[in-house]
Amino acid sequence: MRRFPLLLLALPIAACEGSQSALSPHGDEASRVALLSWILFAGAAAIFALVAGALLLAWRGPERARAALAQESTIRLGGLAFPIVTLTLLLGYGVWLMRGAGAGEQQPELRIDLIGEQWWWRVAYHGPDGRTVADANQIRIPVGREVEIQLSSADVIHSFWVPSLGGKTDMIPGRTNRQRLRAERPGIYGGQCAEYCGGPHALMSFEVIAMPPADFDAWLAGRAKPREAPATEERRRGQEVFMAAGCGSCHAIDGTAATGTIGPDLSRFGERRLLAAGALRNGSAEVARFIADTQGAKPGNLMPSFRNLDEAERTAIGVYLTGLK
Amino acid sequence: MALLERARRGARWLLATRRRLFCGLALAGLAIALGGFLFAWTGAYNIAASRGHFAAVEHVLRFAMMQSVRARAPKEPVPDLADLSLVSLGAAHFEAGCAFCHGSPGRPISAAVRGMLPTPPDLSDLEGKWSDGELFWIVKHGIKYTGMPGWPELERDDEIWAVIAFLRRLPALDRAGYERLARGEVELAPGSGAEIAEGEAPADAAYACARCHGSGKPPRSELVPRLHGQPAAMLETALRGYASGERQSGIMQFAANGLSQDEIKRLAGYYAKLPPLPAPPIAADADAIARGGKLAREGDAERGIPACLSCHSGAALPNYPRLAGQPARYLAGQLRLWQRGLNQRSATGAIMAPVARRLSEADIAAVSAYFADIPPRQEAGR
Repeated sequence: MRRFPLLLLALPIAACEGSQSALSPHGDEASRVALLSWILFAGAAAIFALVAGALLLAWRGPERARAALAQESTIRLGGLAFPIVTLTLLLGYGVWLMRGAGAGEQQPELRIDLIGEQWWWRVAYHGPDGRTVADANQIRIPVGREVEIQLSSADVIHSFWVPSLGGKTDMIPGRTNRQRLRAERPGIYGGQCAEYCGGPHALMSFEVIAMPPADFDAWLAGRAKPREAPATEERRRGQEVFMAAGCGSCHAIDGTAATGTIGPDLSRFGERRLLAAGALRNGSAEVARFIADTQGAKPGNLMPSFRNLDEAERTAIGVYLTGLK
Repeated sequence: MALLERARRGARWLLATRRRLFCGLALAGLAIALGGFLFAWTGAYNIAASRGHFAAVEHVLRFAMMQSVRARAPKEPVPDLADLSLVSLGAAHFEAGCAFCHGSPGRPISAAVRGMLPTPPDLSDLEGKWSDGELFWIVKHGIKYTGMPGWPELERDDEIWAVIAFLRRLPALDRAGYERLARGEVELAPGSGAEIAEGEAPADAAYACARCHGSGKPPRSELVPRLHGQPAAMLETALRGYASGERQSGIMQFAANGLSQDEIKRLAGYYAKLPPLPAPPIAADADAIARGGKLAREGDAERGIPACLSCHSGAALPNYPRLAGQPARYLAGQLRLWQRGLNQRSATGAIMAPVARRLSEADIAAVSAYFADIPPRQEAGR
């Protein structure tokens, strides 16, 4: 039992492993944030040890040490001069280290618009031909290129944070904030809304997929191709139900009659690993489950449940949507 | 004299200390309770409705009832009770729900009902007895110990006002006038002796849908939907929703919960095959209709309002209603129900409720006018 508090202390550190952690940086800014954090942790530990030592001496130490500690010069030096110098140095270093964060002077190589909505992420890429490519809850970036995410909000304050790639930037209604990211290597990095934004705030996450630049360019160019009709009978049936149930009045699938912009764009739904901004893993069965009971899967979210569809219809929609690339 | 003296001494003894007084009162209370119990236990009280109340008891009961109703009746302004849509809806419901006990012009109450205690009052001479608000309260809540039931759906004040509007019209109606109002196009042809004997005559058309919704003719009230040509699946869903109480309407729950699954299917199939009817012309300005049309076609993404027509047009699922040609007042009334938090438990109601809550009163007027203005399309066979 005595070891239990120690185990508790270890828990948050264990949770920081993986793709969504400020302690395992995979990007420029995240590395600097991590370096600064470690300097802070180490410095704070050293100062804590120093203070604890002084306290011990003052309490149980030899007479000479106690007399030295009680001198006014010790207080002036250790209590005033030391913190002023240390904190000033630290502030200066921090400002210098983080100087590149946010909007830089140079033009970024790529701009991506990200709008926070209750409770999902609206993504817009600007394709090479000037076309806007809409997506949601997933951001693709090319490795090694500097990407500027233009952050705004449609309703309340949200906050954009991909701990492994960079710092946290608020998304404020009526204002555009900028956050630059540069991923060092390919991978999938988790991101999270980091400012309480109402009910399902905890289920408002997204993924950043860092891909080799050539793959990214090919992916973005591929979005301009006209959409092919659903290949299988079940997908075709799914599309039919999707349209007839009115889903297209809130969700868009490019190349079809579905042009709604109220909810997330589903044109590339099959490419996402997560569903409902991270509430569920993506898959046709999960889609069917989510449609039937949206509030059970993500309490408070704005999509109504479609209990009027039968199991086969919901599954057909799931198969259709997960086939969209 | 000795008796009086003894009582006086007894009283003096009882009042001498506070403790004696309390004990005496407690004993008296106990004796009364015991007496009451013995009275009930022995069956001495005659519960027979045939016997009536003593005149004094009758007076006290009536006085208490009237005071209770007066104290609780709403004082708010009432809707326009001369409105014909309200009156004809109320009349049709009266025929189905009230006339059996209260009788109607030219049709006295049955011998069985006459044996109730109290006998349900004749409602054709209410003049001056109750205010509109008091009548409303009685119809809404019913009256204990009398057999007068409360309204099945306490949230639907709008429906209750229809009955009050009719009750105000009732004194002026003769038999023919009443039947025109309450039965609409449903005609009761006198059956032959054999038909009456074998139960083939349409003896009771009190529940006929056509009294409110029309069949060969359009409905007379603008407060009820036109079912002609609606998809059968939607009509079935609606009737099941009313029968189970998922959809909140005192009038429709009363009409639907006696229907069997098979009857619901056949009924829905019948209305689905009727040619759709256009709504009565309305006095909406072209501006409102144009605004409603824009909202219906495009929605308003800024405010989270999807386009109405993506679910309420020909290509949509058969369990969604088609709105073209529905009366504007009916549509607006339904949208306001969702805004008040009603009708949101059914599968399709749950989808519509959040959308309706995002509409402003001007939006409601505009989209209702738009749908009333466009001609309906045949949806039969879906």
